[in-house]
Amino acid sequence: MAVCIAVIAKENYPLYIRSVPTQNELKFHYTVHTSLDVVEEKISAVGKSIGDQRELYLGLLYPTEDYKVYGYVTNTKVKFVIVVDSSNTSLRDNEIRSMFRKLHNSFTDVMCNPFHNPGDSIQSKTFDGIISGMMVQTG
Amino acid sequence: MAQGVQSVQEFIQDSFVPMVAVLCSEEAGRVTRKNNLNFAELLRPFCRLTSEGHIRDPNNQLQVVKNLRICVNNVVTSTNTPSATLGPSQCRLLNEVVSSCQPQEGAVNNVVTAGEYNLNVSATTPWFESYKEKFLQSMPASDHEFLNHYLACLLVVSSTEVVPVEQFLKLSQEQHRIQHSGEHSIPKWFIPNTLKYYVLLHDMSEGNEQRADMVYEDMKQRYGSQGCYLLKINTRSISAEDGEQIPDPWCQYLHRNSLPNQVSTDYSSGGLHTLCAINTDLEKCSRVPEGVVGGAGIHGACLTLSDHDHIRQFVQEFTFRGLLPHIEKNIRQLNDQLVSRKGLSRSLFTATKKWFGGSKVPEKSISEPKSTCGLLYPPEAPELQIRKMADLCFLVQHYELAYSCYHTAKKDFLSDQAMLYAAGALEMAAVSAFLQAGAPRPYPAHYMDTAIQTYRDTCKNMVLAERCALLSTEILKSQGKYSEAATLLIKMTSEDSDLRSALLLEQAAHCFINMRNPMVRKFAFHMILAGHRFSKAGQRRHALRCYCQAMQVYKERGWSLAEDHINFTIGRQSFTLGQPENAVLAFKQILTIDSRQTATQQGAFLREYLYVYKVITVCNDVCLLQLPLPCINSSATRVYFGHERRLAEGEKQAATHVSLDQEYDPDLAAMWFHLEEQLVTAANRGITPVNFQPTQYCLNCQTDNLRHPLAVMEEPIIVEVMFRNPLKVSLVLSNLSLIWNFTLDGVPPLKEKMPDKLTISNEETLARLQLLPHRTGELNIVGVVYDLAAASSGDMCGLLLLTCKQALELMTGRGKQDLNIQGPRLNQTKEDKMLVRRGLDKRLDPIITPPMPLLEVFFLQFPTALLCGEIRKAYVEVCNVSGVALCGLRVISTHPDFFTFGSKSAPLSTIHPTSAENNSAYQTFATPLQPDLVASEMLVSAEDFSQPSDVIDIPIEGNTLQPGESTQLPLWLRGPDQEGVHEINFLFYYENIDKGNKNRCHRVLRHTVFICASRSLSVQASAFRSSIPPHHVLDDKGGGGTLVFIDVENLNTSDAGVCEFHIVQVSSSSQHWRLHKCINPAKEKGGCGTLVLNSLCFFKYIFSVQISIPEFPEYIDVASSTTSSGSRSKSCSPAEERVRDITNIVKKCNELDLNVIIIWKAYVIEDNKQLILEGQLNVALQTIGKEATSLPPKQEAQEMVLLKFKSELPTPVITPSGELSQIIKTNLHYPETYIHPFVQNSLCVVPVTLMLSNCSSAQVDVIINLRHKSTSPESAEVHSLFTWVGQSQYKRQLKPQEVLCLTLQACFLQAGVYNLNTPKIFAKPSEQGAMCETSQQASTPALIIINNA
Repeated sequence: MAVCIAVIAKENYPLYIRSVPTQNELKFHYTVHTSLDVVEEKISAVGKSIGDQRELYLGLLYPTEDYKVYGYVTNTKVKFVIVVDSSNTSLRDNEIRSMFRKLHNSFTDVMCNPFHNPGDSIQSKTFDGIISGMMVQTG
Repeated sequence: MAQGVQSVQEFIQDSFVPMVAVLCSEEAGRVTRKNNLNFAELLRPFCRLTSEGHIRDPNNQLQVVKNLRICVNNVVTSTNTPSATLGPSQCRLLNEVVSSCQPQEGAVNNVVTAGEYNLNVSATTPWFESYKEKFLQSMPASDHEFLNHYLACLLVVSSTEVVPVEQFLKLSQEQHRIQHSGEHSIPKWFIPNTLKYYVLLHDMSEGNEQRADMVYEDMKQRYGSQGCYLLKINTRSISAEDGEQIPDPWCQYLHRNSLPNQVSTDYSSGGLHTLCAINTDLEKCSRVPEGVVGGAGIHGACLTLSDHDHIRQFVQEFTFRGLLPHIEKNIRQLNDQLVSRKGLSRSLFTATKKWFGGSKVPEKSISEPKSTCGLLYPPEAPELQIRKMADLCFLVQHYELAYSCYHTAKKDFLSDQAMLYAAGALEMAAVSAFLQAGAPRPYPAHYMDTAIQTYRDTCKNMVLAERCALLSTEILKSQGKYSEAATLLIKMTSEDSDLRSALLLEQAAHCFINMRNPMVRKFAFHMILAGHRFSKAGQRRHALRCYCQAMQVYKERGWSLAEDHINFTIGRQSFTLGQPENAVLAFKQILTIDSRQTATQQGAFLREYLYVYKVITVCNDVCLLQLPLPCINSSATRVYFGHERRLAEGEKQAATHVSLDQEYDPDLAAMWFHLEEQLVTAANRGITPVNFQPTQYCLNCQTDNLRHPLAVMEEPIIVEVMFRNPLKVSLVLSNLSLIWNFTLDGVPPLKEKMPDKLTISNEETLARLQLLPHRTGELNIVGVVYDLAAASSGDMCGLLLLTCKQALELMTGRGKQDLNIQGPRLNQTKEDKMLVRRGLDKRLDPIITPPMPLLEVFFLQFPTALLCGEIRKAYVEVCNVSGVALCGLRVISTHPDFFTFGSKSAPLSTIHPTSAENNSAYQTFATPLQPDLVASEMLVSAEDFSQPSDVIDIPIEGNTLQPGESTQLPLWLRGPDQEGVHEINFLFYYENIDKGNKNRCHRVLRHTVFICASRSLSVQASAFRSSIPPHHVLDDKGGGGTLVFIDVENLNTSDAGVCEFHIVQVSSSSQHWRLHKCINPAKEKGGCGTLVLNSLCFFKYIFSVQISIPEFPEYIDVASSTTSSGSRSKSCSPAEERVRDITNIVKKCNELDLNVIIIWKAYVIEDNKQLILEGQLNVALQTIGKEATSLPPKQEAQEMVLLKFKSELPTPVITPSGELSQIIKTNLHYPETYIHPFVQNSLCVVPVTLMLSNCSSAQVDVIINLRHKSTSPESAEVHSLFTWVGQSQYKRQLKPQEVLCLTLQACFLQAGVYNLNTPKIFAKPSEQGAMCETSQQASTPALIIINNA
């Protein structure tokens, strides 16, 4: 369902980017990087109005011709970006939400690993597996 | 920031100006051409009116027209219908405009700070400004709007004409023909009756001025004074070459499109920079036309400043007297028409149109079939009148009226579904709404959006859509709505025009960065997109600039894939633009960072880089360039001084010394330094030189590199460089060599460069490069130089070898890399800790010294395995391989007890490993042995043990070794006492015989051996004080004896090769003791298996007798260092020492200092041959009563120390009562059996002598208590049977070593066996007044048998 899933550190460098192998990886890198502007805009907008009680899910960041980009920010300002094919109209907002929740959970698991150095890029087989599960056509 | 120079209002005003056509007679053309201009060009610099004009609107309100500009153009006729797209020529023109306009070198850049980003963004985009201008100028006139239709026509006739009036007539007819004949679709005219303005051009230099005036008067009569003008120009003749410099206002208007440098865009509101820019521009302008136009000179050569004024006046006159009244009149007419129509209600008007089909339906069918853009009106359709009026109002800056007209027109057009017209009206309505002063209504952005959409989607007219978008974005930007502007710009990008898309994307990027919260990443991304489109459009420079700007955002932020892509593009663009240096830099960055690209991609990058690199190196072959690959781990560089060692030569085994293959071990290094220090100290007669520095042969990052290392002439210097290849493709390095400087009197060093290696490195590869210095001086190794090539991939191998080679040569770049070694980080002072300071590292700066001697040491028959205590003979060969004699050969070892040098006299012929008997360490000496007393006494001189330290001089003849000379020496080895693998280090020391070298005169050679020691015998010995009474001893000299028990155990159970051990000899060595008697000479042969051999020996104490028998023949060649080591230090007589401390007294008293030596033979079967191994074990007995073994005590595993939070109470000083209790030795002398007739006398009194001997060397107070009751009940029972009679308590003082006899009497009541050893003796040293007497140890029971007679 997702064509690209990225985890971006607080300092806006990539911790993890996976995209479907059939397409140009560079394009997704650019897309994800550019989406960070929107993420930051959304965070700053939300931060003023509601305060600390913040919805982590940012919703659709922006649609491009071929893709829809969704964003999610953890409380530690780690950003998750999921790029979905625009043609995939069956995907509802709720499903995207649950994908992000799943992603967040497995990210938390990675962070809980005492041998993981926070700030390093993620190299975990379990995490890879979860991401792969979200990338394939599961419905 | 991409703000235009003009304000947006000015920009829009200038985009829509009244158009004036020019028709010129031949003659008039000739007059103007004198100035290298045509008439329209002549007027162009003066087309902006400086003064205000006035106009009255239909309501008779006065309207001010400010800053009006008119546009004067020659009439160019064409039959082409305006197309919806730009023609190829126009496209080319636009492309040229953009490419000719590049950012200036020192252009002002804005620094935009957004979050963690600091970006350098170009302040202006002049290429876009000029594109915009050119684009709007080249807009084709369209039917749906009238703004760029000609309003007036200037008819220009020269005064030199024969009949000027006729000419005017002709031109007037011509104009009429063009406008009304319908042959030409271009130019388009605003109003059917175009304003004709008659201009009589008078050339002052040639024509008759009066005639001209006459003609003008005539014209005034004919056309009215407001419809004609006499323009006098060319006051100067061409030939008049006076020095008066007249500013050339034409150049910026005429050549801006063809000249490479852009001029006009920088006319902003001042500032030093802009002024400079103008000046330079003007200079350029004045220079260039000469080249371009040729000899005709600059424009306006015949015009004086007053002529300029004339022209200006003319334009003003024409505008204010001719044009504006004409427009005013037309507005009024149109208004009247509209007002008359207003009588009908609009709804009714439209309703009737619908019901009756209107009059337009046939018109529509006549003019044009309904096209995609909807309805097309005929040029004079009534619906267009209102639009015409609106346009006129707009042109004269009456925006309020214009807006209401546009608004009305829009409604009409929309209801007619005339989409193109509606879009045009919408666009202009929005613009005029924006331009209204005071802004009574907000800017209707949605009008614009609708207009753009209609233009683009419905009418498929991209040109109009683009114009609309340009206007809209300018307006939006001026209102700070950057986000909307960006969206609009991005929407306008399309596949049909790369140039437009690129420019618009770039503008969009600038919009993102100019937002209140700058969107840096979007800026970067759109810059990349723009760069891509620029490169597609062939605008390489702009593409490169865009990529470079985007790079700022992506650089070093972890987005390596994007970074690589940008770098690669920058590299390519730079290379094609002829900037290979920048290209190389960009490619370098791809290759140095740890890229996550695939191997093939990396290979491609590498090939590209090498190709560009090669181009660069071909261009400038003066100096080598730095290569980025492979990475050099500078700090891992190792430097080795000296030859590479031969490890073995035949049977000879060379000293291991130091080699580059060894890992550096700081502990080992410290050990070697310590050994060397001892050697140097010994060589300098016990004084360590102040400037002593340990010799370092191999330097690395952990060694002390603060001083220049010393290298010896004619001895190689090997530099080991560690290369790391960060790529996934392998690299080939060839022709590696070192770069070095040699500094000494500018003498070119004669040096040989050895390395010529080919290294293929995949991960970390070491390369060893060698230098051989031929002169003394200071060397400085700077870096490495090599040829870099990508390893040939698999498909290349399939090609022919020749082509492969060629390809390899093609892809090879020669470059260098520096070896910058950073010193260790300093951490001494506070400043060091707070800053990062680095120390010196002079690893690569050796000083070449004159030749030095060089020693090589070989070992022959050196064993690798020994039994514990085994004695083995080996040979050592020392060889001087240099050209300088050496002397002062010494050696030191970590295990001094492991070896000793044998005398040179031993015959060398006996070195035969099989003849073990010949090789025996011992010589059997036929001594007549007494059969009952095996013990024999030997004395060994003290000088034999007189090595002052562990340093051993190597006994070579003459103490010098001449060049090329070698000597062989026997070497006795003794297996270590402890089993296991032992590392034994030798350090050989030698000196230059000529001590002139101030830097260093000694050298050292290291050797490390590993000896595997296996278990042999274990000897346990213990000594006890003999309790035999002195009178039993034959020759009593006033001391006591000691009994020594020796247990020998065969521990060698595991080794099947060893068959049996034989104890050959037991001897002792001491300064104080003499073997007296062997009590139990159990000379059993210890067979295989564990056997306890119990020998009991008795030694005689000889007090303070100096041993001085010089030579001892039986004791030859035995490594006796162990035997001697214990006794050596205590050669002085103990009696002379003044003993003060109580513990000392006690120790002295128990001191034994006796060594027992066991010599054994072992029969070993090895390779089906029986070998006899010999060995010797030593036991050092130190104190009486303690057991000593030949094995060194095993170290207990260190227990973990528990943390203690409370300080421990100091342990009370406990007097060593156990040891104090042995000060006094007691003996009881009595008859063993005593027969007493109890019948006669019931009391039996037996005399008993108590002998007290003081074992210590101090005075002792003794108390003897006979009545002391023991606490134990058992002894109490015994006590009751007999009693001591007479004095029951004695107090005596004993001198050192004194023996005291007391006669006591014991009284028995009945027969039996009694233990007489009941007296309690307490002793204390006399000087220790405060101390309590200590109870002395009771000796063995003294039994007496009383028989009844």
